[in-house]
Amino acid sequence: MKNLTIRNLSKTYFDPYAGTNVTAVHDVSLDVRQGEFVSIVGPSGCGKTTILNMIAGFIPHTGGEILLDGRPVKGPGADRGVVFQSFALFPWRTVLENVAFGPKMRGVGKAEREKIAYEYLALAKLTEAAGRYPAELSGGMQQRVGVVRALANEPDVLLMDEPFASVDAQTRMTLQEELTRIWQEKRPTVIFITHDVGEAVFLGNRVVALSKGRVLEEIAIDLPRPRSWDALNDDPRFKELSGRVLQLVRSA
Amino acid sequence: MKPFFLNLWSHCVRLTARWPSIGSIAPFIPLVAGWWIVTELEVFPRAFLPGPVDVVRSFGSLVYTGILPEYLQDSMVRLAVGAFWGIALGVPLGMLVGLSQRAHTALWPLLLFFQAIGDIAWLPILVIWFGYGLITMTVVIVYTVIFPVVLNTVLGVRSIPITMHRAALSLGASRTRILWEVVLPGALPNIVTGLRNGLGYGWRALIATEIIVGTSGIGFLMFDARRAGSVVEILLGMIILGILWYIVDSWILAPIERATGQRWGLVTR
Ligand SMILES: Nc1ncnc2c1ncn2[C@@H]1O[C@H](COP(=O)(O)OP(=O)(O)OP(=O)(O)O)[C@@H](O)[C@H]1O
Ligand SMILES: [Mg+2]
Repeated sequence: MKNLTIRNLSKTYFDPYAGTNVTAVHDVSLDVRQGEFVSIVGPSGCGKTTILNMIAGFIPHTGGEILLDGRPVKGPGADRGVVFQSFALFPWRTVLENVAFGPKMRGVGKAEREKIAYEYLALAKLTEAAGRYPAELSGGMQQRVGVVRALANEPDVLLMDEPFASVDAQTRMTLQEELTRIWQEKRPTVIFITHDVGEAVFLGNRVVALSKGRVLEEIAIDLPRPRSWDALNDDPRFKELSGRVLQLVRSA
Repeated sequence: MKPFFLNLWSHCVRLTARWPSIGSIAPFIPLVAGWWIVTELEVFPRAFLPGPVDVVRSFGSLVYTGILPEYLQDSMVRLAVGAFWGIALGVPLGMLVGLSQRAHTALWPLLLFFQAIGDIAWLPILVIWFGYGLITMTVVIVYTVIFPVVLNTVLGVRSIPITMHRAALSLGASRTRILWEVVLPGALPNIVTGLRNGLGYGWRALIATEIIVGTSGIGFLMFDARRAGSVVEILLGMIILGILWYIVDSWILAPIERATGQRWGLVTR
Protein backbone atom coordinates (compact mmCIF):
# COMPACT_ATOMS: atom_id res chain seq x y z
CA MET A 1 0.00 0.00 0.00
CA LYS A 2 1.37 3.39 -1.02
CA ASN A 3 0.43 5.40 2.05
CA LEU A 4 1.58 8.92 2.69
CA THR A 5 2.70 9.68 6.23
CA ILE A 6 3.48 13.17 7.45
CA ARG A 7 4.95 13.44 10.94
CA ASN A 8 5.53 16.66 12.89
CA LEU A 9 6.15 18.56 9.69
CA SER A 10 7.24 22.17 10.07
CA LYS A 11 8.62 24.91 7.89
CA THR A 12 10.39 28.09 8.88
CA TYR A 13 11.09 30.64 6.20
CA PHE A 14 13.92 33.09 6.62
CA ASP A 15 13.05 36.55 5.43
CA PRO A 16 16.38 38.08 4.31
CA TYR A 17 15.00 41.61 4.10
CA ALA A 18 13.53 41.78 7.56
CA GLY A 19 16.19 39.43 8.92
CA THR A 20 13.52 37.40 10.73
CA ASN A 21 12.20 33.85 10.71
CA VAL A 22 8.59 33.15 9.75
CA THR A 23 7.17 29.80 10.76
CA ALA A 24 4.50 28.97 8.20
CA VAL A 25 3.84 25.36 9.23
CA HIS A 26 3.92 24.04 12.82
CA ASP A 27 4.07 20.40 13.71
CA VAL A 28 1.62 19.06 11.15
CA SER A 29 0.88 15.33 11.17
CA LEU A 30 -1.33 13.57 8.65
CA ASP A 31 -1.87 10.04 7.36
CA VAL A 32 -3.28 9.52 3.91
CA ARG A 33 -4.14 5.96 2.88
CA GLN A 34 -4.00 4.78 -0.68
CA GLY A 35 -7.12 5.69 -2.63
CA GLU A 36 -8.24 8.30 -0.13
CA PHE A 37 -9.37 11.82 -1.05
CA VAL A 38 -8.26 14.30 1.63
CA SER A 39 -9.18 17.97 1.49
CA ILE A 40 -7.10 20.50 3.36
CA VAL A 41 -8.98 23.70 4.00
CA GLY A 42 -7.97 26.94 5.66
CA PRO A 43 -7.89 30.69 5.20
CA SER A 44 -5.39 32.51 3.04
CA GLY A 45 -1.87 32.49 4.41
CA CYS A 46 -2.38 29.53 6.74
CA GLY A 47 0.38 27.52 5.06
CA LYS A 48 -1.56 25.29 2.64
CA THR A 49 0.70 25.91 -0.35
CA THR A 50 3.76 25.52 1.85
CA ILE A 51 2.61 22.07 2.96
CA LEU A 52 1.84 20.98 -0.57
CA ASN A 53 5.16 22.27 -1.90
CA MET A 54 7.00 20.29 0.76
CA ILE A 55 5.12 17.09 -0.09
CA ALA A 56 5.81 17.70 -3.78
CA GLY A 57 9.48 18.20 -2.91
CA PHE A 58 9.66 21.70 -4.40
CA ILE A 59 10.90 23.21 -1.16
CA PRO A 60 12.76 21.53 1.73
CA HIS A 61 11.06 21.13 5.11
CA THR A 62 12.79 22.34 8.24
CA GLY A 63 11.38 19.78 10.66
CA GLY A 64 9.62 16.42 10.83
CA GLU A 65 9.33 13.92 8.02
CA ILE A 66 7.35 13.03 4.93
CA LEU A 67 7.20 9.35 4.02
CA LEU A 68 5.69 7.91 0.88
CA ASP A 69 5.38 4.14 0.96
CA GLY A 70 7.73 4.23 3.96
CA ARG A 71 10.49 6.11 2.17
CA PRO A 72 11.38 9.75 2.91
CA VAL A 73 10.56 12.25 0.18
CA LYS A 74 13.56 13.98 -1.35
CA GLY A 75 12.89 16.49 -4.12
CA PRO A 76 10.20 16.32 -6.80
CA GLY A 77 9.38 13.05 -8.51
CA ALA A 78 6.88 11.33 -10.78
CA ASP A 79 5.40 9.44 -7.82
CA ARG A 80 3.72 12.68 -6.72
CA GLY A 81 1.70 14.39 -9.47
CA VAL A 82 0.86 18.05 -9.06
CA VAL A 83 -2.03 20.15 -10.37
CA PHE A 84 -1.20 23.83 -10.16
CA GLN A 85 -3.52 26.75 -9.53
CA SER A 86 -1.96 28.51 -12.53
CA PHE A 87 -2.40 25.32 -14.66
CA ALA A 88 1.30 25.34 -15.67
CA LEU A 89 0.62 23.63 -19.01
CA PHE A 90 3.49 23.74 -21.49
CA PRO A 91 2.38 26.41 -23.97
CA TRP A 92 4.65 25.01 -26.73
CA ARG A 93 3.02 21.59 -26.60
CA THR A 94 -0.43 20.60 -27.82
CA VAL A 95 -2.98 19.29 -25.35
CA LEU A 96 -2.18 15.74 -26.44
CA GLU A 97 1.57 16.26 -26.01
CA ASN A 98 1.03 17.87 -22.61
CA VAL A 99 -0.91 14.85 -21.40
CA ALA A 100 1.59 12.44 -22.95
CA PHE A 101 4.52 14.27 -21.33
CA GLY A 102 4.76 12.12 -18.20
CA PRO A 103 4.73 8.79 -20.08
CA LYS A 104 7.25 10.26 -22.54
CA MET A 105 9.64 11.03 -19.68
CA ARG A 106 9.24 7.42 -18.56
CA GLY A 107 10.37 6.31 -22.01
CA VAL A 108 6.99 5.08 -23.27
CA GLY A 109 6.93 4.91 -27.09
CA LYS A 110 5.01 7.46 -29.13
CA ALA A 111 2.07 5.28 -30.19
CA GLU A 112 1.61 3.85 -26.72
CA ARG A 113 1.80 7.19 -24.88
CA GLU A 114 -0.65 8.80 -27.28
CA LYS A 115 -3.03 5.95 -26.64
CA ILE A 116 -2.72 6.59 -22.90
CA ALA A 117 -3.19 10.33 -23.43
CA TYR A 118 -6.32 9.84 -25.55
CA GLU A 119 -7.78 7.51 -22.95
CA TYR A 120 -7.35 10.13 -20.20
CA LEU A 121 -8.49 12.98 -22.44
CA ALA A 122 -11.71 11.05 -23.12
CA LEU A 123 -12.19 10.77 -19.37
CA ALA A 124 -12.47 14.57 -19.13
CA LYS A 125 -14.32 14.93 -22.47
CA LEU A 126 -11.31 16.63 -24.05
CA THR A 127 -10.80 14.40 -27.09
CA GLU A 128 -11.79 17.23 -29.43
CA ALA A 129 -9.12 19.56 -28.03
CA ALA A 130 -6.23 17.11 -28.41
CA GLY A 131 -4.52 18.97 -31.26
CA ARG A 132 -4.92 22.46 -29.86
CA TYR A 133 -2.44 24.57 -27.94
CA PRO A 134 -3.20 25.57 -24.32
CA ALA A 135 -3.46 29.25 -25.26
CA GLU A 136 -6.39 28.33 -27.49
CA LEU A 137 -8.43 26.87 -24.61
CA SER A 138 -10.66 28.44 -21.97
CA GLY A 139 -9.46 28.48 -18.36
CA GLY A 140 -11.80 25.65 -17.41
CA MET A 141 -10.53 23.47 -20.25
CA GLN A 142 -6.91 24.28 -19.41
CA GLN A 143 -7.39 23.06 -15.87
CA ARG A 144 -9.08 19.89 -17.09
CA VAL A 145 -5.93 19.29 -19.10
CA GLY A 146 -3.86 20.04 -16.00
CA VAL A 147 -5.75 17.41 -13.98
CA VAL A 148 -5.64 14.85 -16.77
CA ARG A 149 -1.92 15.43 -17.41
CA ALA A 150 -1.13 14.65 -13.78
CA LEU A 151 -3.47 11.61 -13.74
CA ALA A 152 -2.09 10.14 -16.98
CA ASN A 153 1.27 9.73 -15.27
CA GLU A 154 -0.44 7.50 -12.66
CA PRO A 155 1.25 9.01 -9.59
CA ASP A 156 0.96 7.40 -6.16
CA VAL A 157 -0.41 10.68 -4.82
CA LEU A 158 -2.10 13.53 -6.65
CA LEU A 159 -1.47 16.94 -5.10
CA MET A 160 -3.84 19.74 -6.04
CA ASP A 161 -3.35 23.34 -4.93
CA GLU A 162 -6.56 25.34 -5.30
CA PRO A 163 -6.88 24.06 -8.87
CA PHE A 164 -10.34 25.52 -9.47
CA ALA A 165 -9.85 28.89 -7.78
CA SER A 166 -9.37 30.85 -10.98
CA VAL A 167 -12.41 29.71 -12.98
CA ASP A 168 -15.95 31.04 -12.76
CA ALA A 169 -18.47 29.58 -10.30
CA GLN A 170 -20.46 27.47 -12.78
CA THR A 171 -17.36 25.99 -14.40
CA ARG A 172 -15.96 25.31 -10.96
CA MET A 173 -19.03 23.23 -10.03
CA THR A 174 -18.76 21.26 -13.24
CA LEU A 175 -15.07 20.64 -12.65
CA GLN A 176 -15.74 19.51 -9.08
CA GLU A 177 -18.38 17.05 -10.25
CA GLU A 178 -16.07 15.78 -12.95
CA LEU A 179 -13.28 15.33 -10.45
CA THR A 180 -15.42 13.22 -8.12
CA ARG A 181 -16.52 11.10 -11.07
CA ILE A 182 -12.93 10.59 -12.27
CA TRP A 183 -11.80 9.87 -8.74
CA GLN A 184 -14.42 7.15 -8.38
CA GLU A 185 -13.37 5.63 -11.65
CA LYS A 186 -9.58 5.70 -11.14
CA ARG A 187 -9.31 5.87 -7.36
CA PRO A 188 -6.14 7.94 -7.14
CA THR A 189 -4.86 9.13 -3.77
CA VAL A 190 -5.60 12.84 -3.64
CA ILE A 191 -4.58 15.71 -1.40
CA PHE A 192 -6.74 18.63 -2.37
CA ILE A 193 -6.03 22.10 -1.07
CA THR A 194 -8.65 24.81 -1.00
CA HIS A 195 -9.90 27.79 0.94
CA ASP A 196 -13.48 26.96 -0.06
CA VAL A 197 -15.25 24.97 2.67
CA GLY A 198 -18.06 23.78 0.38
CA GLU A 199 -15.54 22.47 -2.13
CA ALA A 200 -13.53 20.68 0.55
CA VAL A 201 -16.62 18.90 1.93
CA PHE A 202 -18.08 18.13 -1.50
CA LEU A 203 -14.92 16.42 -2.73
CA GLY A 204 -13.28 14.80 0.28
CA ASN A 205 -13.50 11.59 2.25
CA ARG A 206 -11.94 13.62 4.99
CA VAL A 207 -11.43 17.31 5.60
CA VAL A 208 -8.42 18.65 7.47
CA ALA A 209 -9.01 22.13 8.87
CA LEU A 210 -5.89 24.23 9.06
CA SER A 211 -5.21 27.53 10.73
CA LYS A 212 -2.00 29.51 11.18
CA GLY A 213 0.10 26.55 10.14
CA ARG A 214 -1.52 24.07 12.56
CA VAL A 215 -4.06 21.28 12.10
CA LEU A 216 -7.21 22.15 14.04
CA GLU A 217 -9.24 19.02 13.44
CA GLU A 218 -9.96 16.25 10.98
CA ILE A 219 -13.55 15.60 10.01
CA ALA A 220 -14.69 12.47 8.20
CA ILE A 221 -17.14 13.17 5.37
CA ASP A 222 -19.62 10.32 5.21
CA LEU A 223 -21.68 11.67 2.31
CA PRO A 224 -22.68 9.00 -0.22
CA ARG A 225 -21.16 8.89 -3.72
CA PRO A 226 -21.57 9.66 -6.56
CA ARG A 227 -21.89 13.24 -5.42
CA SER A 228 -23.50 16.02 -7.40
CA TRP A 229 -24.35 19.59 -6.54
CA ASP A 230 -28.01 19.08 -7.51
CA ALA A 231 -28.33 16.44 -4.82
CA LEU A 232 -26.11 17.99 -2.17
CA ASN A 233 -27.16 21.64 -2.32
CA ASP A 234 -30.16 20.99 -0.12
CA ASP A 235 -28.81 17.97 1.69
CA PRO A 236 -29.03 18.51 5.47
CA ARG A 237 -25.98 16.32 6.18
CA PHE A 238 -23.88 18.33 3.69
CA LYS A 239 -25.05 21.56 5.30
CA GLU A 240 -24.26 20.29 8.76
CA LEU A 241 -20.74 19.18 7.80
CA SER A 242 -20.00 22.39 5.92
CA GLY A 243 -21.26 24.43 8.83
CA ARG A 244 -18.99 22.58 11.23
CA VAL A 245 -15.91 23.03 9.06
CA LEU A 246 -16.73 26.67 8.46
CA GLN A 247 -17.05 27.29 12.17
CA LEU A 248 -13.73 25.59 12.85
CA VAL A 249 -11.92 27.62 10.23
CA ARG A 250 -13.48 30.88 11.30
CA SER A 251 -13.10 30.41 15.05
CA ALA A 252 -9.33 30.04 14.90
CA MET B 1 -14.58 61.07 -62.36
CA LYS B 2 -15.63 59.65 -59.03
CA PRO B 3 -16.69 56.18 -60.17
CA PHE B 4 -13.34 55.86 -61.93
CA PHE B 5 -11.38 56.41 -58.72
CA LEU B 6 -13.74 54.19 -56.77
CA ASN B 7 -13.26 51.46 -59.33
CA LEU B 8 -9.50 51.90 -59.16
CA TRP B 9 -9.62 51.76 -55.40
CA SER B 10 -11.67 48.58 -55.19
CA HIS B 11 -9.43 47.09 -57.84
CA CYS B 12 -6.39 47.86 -55.66
CA VAL B 13 -8.04 46.38 -52.59
CA ARG B 14 -8.87 43.16 -54.39
CA LEU B 15 -5.39 42.95 -55.88
CA THR B 16 -3.58 43.37 -52.57
CA ALA B 17 -5.94 40.89 -50.95
CA ARG B 18 -4.99 38.28 -53.53
CA TRP B 19 -1.25 39.03 -53.52
CA PRO B 20 -0.30 40.46 -50.11
CA SER B 21 3.26 41.12 -51.31
CA ILE B 22 1.89 43.89 -53.53
CA GLY B 23 0.76 45.60 -50.34
CA SER B 24 4.33 45.68 -49.10
CA ILE B 25 5.61 47.09 -52.38
CA ALA B 26 3.00 49.86 -52.54
CA PRO B 27 4.70 52.25 -50.04
CA PHE B 28 7.74 52.36 -52.31
CA ILE B 29 5.86 53.52 -55.38
CA PRO B 30 5.59 57.23 -54.40
CA LEU B 31 9.21 57.14 -53.22
CA VAL B 32 10.49 55.86 -56.55
CA ALA B 33 8.17 58.22 -58.42
CA GLY B 34 9.50 61.20 -56.46
CA TRP B 35 13.07 60.13 -57.12
CA TRP B 36 12.31 59.73 -60.81
CA ILE B 37 10.70 63.18 -61.05
CA VAL B 38 13.63 64.85 -59.25
CA THR B 39 16.13 63.28 -61.64
CA GLU B 40 14.02 64.02 -64.75
CA LEU B 41 13.82 67.67 -63.73
CA GLU B 42 17.62 67.60 -63.39
CA VAL B 43 17.51 69.31 -60.00
CA PHE B 44 20.95 67.80 -59.39
CA PRO B 45 23.50 66.90 -62.05
CA ARG B 46 22.97 63.39 -63.46
CA ALA B 47 26.40 62.26 -62.35
CA PHE B 48 25.50 63.09 -58.73
CA LEU B 49 22.01 61.63 -58.68
CA PRO B 50 21.20 59.11 -61.39
CA GLY B 51 17.58 58.09 -61.91
CA PRO B 52 15.80 54.78 -61.30
CA VAL B 53 16.20 53.78 -64.93
CA ASP B 54 19.99 54.17 -64.75
CA VAL B 55 20.09 52.04 -61.61
CA VAL B 56 17.99 49.31 -63.20
CA ARG B 57 20.26 49.36 -66.27
CA SER B 58 23.34 49.09 -64.05
CA PHE B 59 21.66 46.22 -62.21
CA GLY B 60 21.13 44.46 -65.52
CA SER B 61 24.72 44.79 -66.64
CA LEU B 62 26.16 43.74 -63.26
CA VAL B 63 23.94 40.67 -63.26
CA TYR B 64 24.94 39.94 -66.85
CA THR B 65 28.67 40.08 -66.07
CA GLY B 66 28.10 37.86 -63.05
CA ILE B 67 29.66 40.28 -60.57
CA LEU B 68 26.48 41.04 -58.67
CA PRO B 69 25.34 37.41 -58.15
CA GLU B 70 28.83 36.53 -56.94
CA TYR B 71 29.07 39.45 -54.52
CA LEU B 72 25.54 38.84 -53.32
CA GLN B 73 26.35 35.23 -52.62
CA ASP B 74 29.54 36.20 -50.76
CA SER B 75 27.67 38.62 -48.51
CA MET B 76 24.84 36.17 -47.79
CA VAL B 77 27.22 33.31 -47.02
CA ARG B 78 29.14 35.52 -44.59
CA LEU B 79 25.89 36.52 -42.89
CA ALA B 80 24.76 32.88 -42.71
CA VAL B 81 28.08 31.70 -41.26
CA GLY B 82 27.98 34.51 -38.73
CA ALA B 83 24.39 33.73 -37.81
CA PHE B 84 25.18 30.04 -37.41
CA TRP B 85 28.05 30.61 -35.00
CA GLY B 86 26.20 33.38 -33.25
CA ILE B 87 23.36 30.97 -32.46
CA ALA B 88 25.59 27.98 -31.77
CA LEU B 89 27.61 29.91 -29.20
CA GLY B 90 25.04 32.43 -28.01
CA VAL B 91 22.09 30.18 -27.12
CA PRO B 92 24.02 27.75 -24.85
CA LEU B 93 25.85 30.65 -23.24
CA GLY B 94 22.58 32.48 -22.67
CA MET B 95 20.99 29.36 -21.17
CA LEU B 96 23.94 28.91 -18.82
CA VAL B 97 23.88 32.52 -17.67
CA GLY B 98 20.07 32.49 -17.40
CA LEU B 99 19.91 29.29 -15.34
CA SER B 100 22.93 29.48 -13.07
CA GLN B 101 23.27 32.31 -10.63
CA ARG B 102 26.97 31.56 -10.36
CA ALA B 103 27.53 31.79 -14.10
CA HIS B 104 25.51 34.99 -14.08
CA THR B 105 27.71 36.53 -11.40
CA ALA B 106 30.86 35.48 -13.22
CA LEU B 107 29.92 36.30 -16.81
CA TRP B 108 27.44 39.14 -16.79
CA PRO B 109 29.97 41.96 -16.20
CA LEU B 110 32.19 40.52 -18.93
CA LEU B 111 29.25 40.39 -21.34
CA LEU B 112 28.38 44.01 -20.70
CA PHE B 113 32.03 45.05 -21.02
CA PHE B 114 32.56 43.37 -24.38
CA GLN B 115 29.16 44.39 -25.69
CA ALA B 116 30.20 48.02 -25.19
CA ILE B 117 33.30 47.70 -27.34
CA GLY B 118 31.19 47.40 -30.45
CA ASP B 119 31.76 45.41 -33.58
CA ILE B 120 33.74 47.68 -35.87
CA ALA B 121 35.95 48.85 -33.02
CA TRP B 122 37.51 45.40 -33.25
CA LEU B 123 38.51 45.79 -36.89
CA PRO B 124 41.92 47.41 -36.42
CA ILE B 125 43.20 44.67 -34.15
CA LEU B 126 41.47 41.86 -36.08
CA VAL B 127 43.12 42.99 -39.30
CA ILE B 128 46.50 42.79 -37.60
CA TRP B 129 45.70 39.34 -36.21
CA PHE B 130 43.86 37.72 -39.14
CA GLY B 131 44.51 39.99 -42.12
CA TYR B 132 41.97 41.04 -44.74
CA GLY B 133 39.79 38.01 -45.10
CA LEU B 134 36.92 35.77 -44.18
CA ILE B 135 38.11 35.16 -40.61
CA THR B 136 38.13 38.84 -39.78
CA MET B 137 34.68 39.32 -41.27
CA THR B 138 33.23 36.24 -39.60
CA VAL B 139 34.56 37.30 -36.21
CA VAL B 140 32.97 40.72 -36.56
CA ILE B 141 29.58 39.31 -37.55
CA VAL B 142 29.59 36.64 -34.85
CA TYR B 143 30.58 39.31 -32.39
CA THR B 144 27.64 41.47 -33.45
CA VAL B 145 25.08 38.67 -33.57
CA ILE B 146 26.06 36.99 -30.33
CA PHE B 147 25.25 39.75 -27.83
CA PRO B 148 21.60 40.29 -28.69
CA VAL B 149 21.18 36.49 -28.84
CA VAL B 150 22.81 35.93 -25.43
CA LEU B 151 21.07 38.81 -23.68
CA ASN B 152 17.65 37.85 -25.07
CA THR B 153 18.20 34.18 -24.26
CA VAL B 154 19.01 35.11 -20.66
CA LEU B 155 15.85 37.20 -20.55
CA GLY B 156 13.81 34.35 -22.04
CA VAL B 157 15.20 31.71 -19.69
CA ARG B 158 14.53 33.90 -16.67
CA SER B 159 10.99 34.70 -17.73
CA ILE B 160 9.94 31.03 -17.64
CA PRO B 161 7.68 30.64 -14.57
CA ILE B 162 9.08 28.37 -11.90
CA THR B 163 5.88 26.29 -12.09
CA MET B 164 6.99 25.13 -15.58
CA HIS B 165 10.13 23.63 -14.10
CA ARG B 166 8.17 22.17 -11.21
CA ALA B 167 5.50 20.69 -13.47
CA ALA B 168 8.16 19.00 -15.60
CA LEU B 169 10.02 17.69 -12.56
CA SER B 170 6.92 16.17 -11.00
CA LEU B 171 6.05 14.56 -14.32
CA GLY B 172 9.37 12.75 -14.10
CA ALA B 173 11.67 14.91 -16.24
CA SER B 174 15.35 14.93 -15.31
CA ARG B 175 17.24 18.22 -14.98
CA THR B 176 19.00 17.71 -18.32
CA ARG B 177 15.76 16.72 -20.04
CA ILE B 178 14.25 19.99 -18.79
CA LEU B 179 16.83 21.98 -20.75
CA TRP B 180 15.41 20.59 -23.96
CA GLU B 181 11.76 20.24 -22.95
CA VAL B 182 11.19 23.45 -20.98
CA VAL B 183 14.07 25.92 -21.05
CA LEU B 184 14.75 25.96 -24.78
CA PRO B 185 11.14 26.17 -26.01
CA GLY B 186 10.24 28.58 -23.20
CA ALA B 187 13.03 30.92 -24.22
CA LEU B 188 12.58 30.40 -27.97
CA PRO B 189 10.43 33.45 -28.71
CA ASN B 190 13.05 35.62 -27.01
CA ILE B 191 15.85 33.82 -28.81
CA VAL B 192 14.22 34.51 -32.18
CA THR B 193 13.76 38.16 -31.24
CA GLY B 194 17.43 38.31 -30.25
CA LEU B 195 18.43 36.70 -33.51
CA ARG B 196 16.28 39.12 -35.46
CA ASN B 197 17.94 42.08 -33.76
CA GLY B 198 21.38 40.49 -33.98
CA LEU B 199 21.14 39.78 -37.67
CA GLY B 200 19.95 43.34 -38.28
CA TYR B 201 23.05 44.68 -36.56
CA GLY B 202 25.19 41.96 -38.14
CA TRP B 203 24.02 42.88 -41.61
CA ARG B 204 25.10 46.48 -41.08
CA ALA B 205 28.39 45.41 -39.51
CA LEU B 206 29.04 43.13 -42.47
CA ILE B 207 28.61 45.94 -44.98
CA ALA B 208 30.85 48.22 -42.94
CA THR B 209 33.45 45.48 -42.70
CA GLU B 210 33.30 44.78 -46.42
CA ILE B 211 33.77 48.47 -47.12
CA ILE B 212 36.85 48.55 -44.91
CA VAL B 213 38.51 45.18 -45.37
CA GLY B 214 36.54 43.44 -48.12
CA THR B 215 37.64 42.09 -51.46
CA SER B 216 34.13 41.11 -52.51
CA GLY B 217 30.54 41.52 -51.35
CA ILE B 218 27.91 44.24 -51.56
CA GLY B 219 29.83 46.57 -49.25
CA PHE B 220 32.93 46.14 -51.39
CA LEU B 221 30.88 46.80 -54.54
CA MET B 222 29.86 50.16 -53.13
CA PHE B 223 33.35 51.04 -51.98
CA ASP B 224 34.80 50.02 -55.33
CA ALA B 225 32.20 52.11 -57.14
CA ARG B 226 33.19 55.15 -55.11
CA ARG B 227 36.76 54.70 -56.25
CA ALA B 228 35.54 54.60 -59.85
CA GLY B 229 33.20 57.52 -59.23
CA SER B 230 30.11 55.50 -60.19
CA VAL B 231 27.22 56.92 -58.18
CA VAL B 232 24.84 54.59 -59.97
CA GLU B 233 26.49 51.49 -58.50
CA ILE B 234 26.60 53.04 -55.02
CA LEU B 235 22.87 53.67 -55.20
CA LEU B 236 22.31 50.16 -56.51
CA GLY B 237 24.28 48.74 -53.56
CA MET B 238 22.22 50.75 -51.09
CA ILE B 239 18.96 49.61 -52.62
CA ILE B 240 20.08 45.98 -52.60
CA LEU B 241 20.94 46.25 -48.90
CA GLY B 242 17.43 47.42 -48.13
CA ILE B 243 15.68 44.85 -50.27
CA LEU B 244 17.79 41.95 -49.05
CA TRP B 245 17.17 42.77 -45.41
CA TYR B 246 13.48 43.19 -46.10
CA ILE B 247 13.39 39.71 -47.59
CA VAL B 248 15.40 38.08 -44.79
CA ASP B 249 13.36 39.77 -42.09
CA SER B 250 9.83 39.48 -43.41
CA TRP B 251 10.11 36.14 -45.22
CA ILE B 252 12.29 34.22 -42.78
CA LEU B 253 12.60 35.80 -39.34
CA ALA B 254 9.15 37.29 -38.81
CA PRO B 255 7.32 34.05 -39.77
CA ILE B 256 9.49 32.08 -37.32
CA GLU B 257 8.64 34.58 -34.62
CA ARG B 258 4.95 34.24 -35.42
CA ALA B 259 5.04 30.45 -35.53
CA THR B 260 6.54 30.21 -32.04
CA GLY B 261 5.60 32.99 -29.68
CA GLN B 262 2.24 33.93 -31.08
CA ARG B 263 0.82 30.47 -31.61
CA TRP B 264 1.85 29.52 -28.09
CA GLY B 265 0.35 32.67 -26.63
CA LEU B 266 3.71 33.69 -25.17
CA VAL B 267 3.65 37.03 -26.93
CA THR B 268 0.58 39.05 -27.66
CA ARG B 269 -0.28 39.65 -31.26
N1 LIG C 1 9.10 32.10 0.16
C1 LIG C 1 8.61 32.59 1.32
N2 LIG C 1 9.38 33.34 2.12
C2 LIG C 1 8.90 33.83 3.28
N3 LIG C 1 7.66 33.61 3.72
C3 LIG C 1 6.82 32.88 2.98
C4 LIG C 1 7.26 32.32 1.73
N4 LIG C 1 6.22 31.63 1.18
C5 LIG C 1 5.20 31.75 2.06
N5 LIG C 1 5.56 32.48 3.14
C6 LIG C 1 4.69 32.79 4.29
O1 LIG C 1 4.19 31.60 4.80
C7 LIG C 1 2.83 31.74 5.17
C8 LIG C 1 1.99 30.67 4.47
O2 LIG C 1 2.02 30.89 3.07
P1 LIG C 1 1.29 29.91 2.03
O3 LIG C 1 1.58 30.39 0.68
O4 LIG C 1 1.63 28.52 2.35
O5 LIG C 1 -0.25 30.19 2.39
P2 LIG C 1 -1.56 29.60 1.72
O6 LIG C 1 -2.33 28.95 2.80
O7 LIG C 1 -1.23 28.79 0.54
O8 LIG C 1 -2.32 30.92 1.30
P3 LIG C 1 -3.24 31.21 0.01
O9 LIG C 1 -4.58 30.62 0.30
O10 LIG C 1 -3.30 32.70 -0.03
O11 LIG C 1 -2.56 30.61 -1.17
C9 LIG C 1 2.43 33.15 4.82
O12 LIG C 1 2.45 33.91 6.00
C10 LIG C 1 3.50 33.62 3.87
O13 LIG C 1 3.73 34.97 4.03
MG1 LIG D 1 -1.60 29.02 -1.64
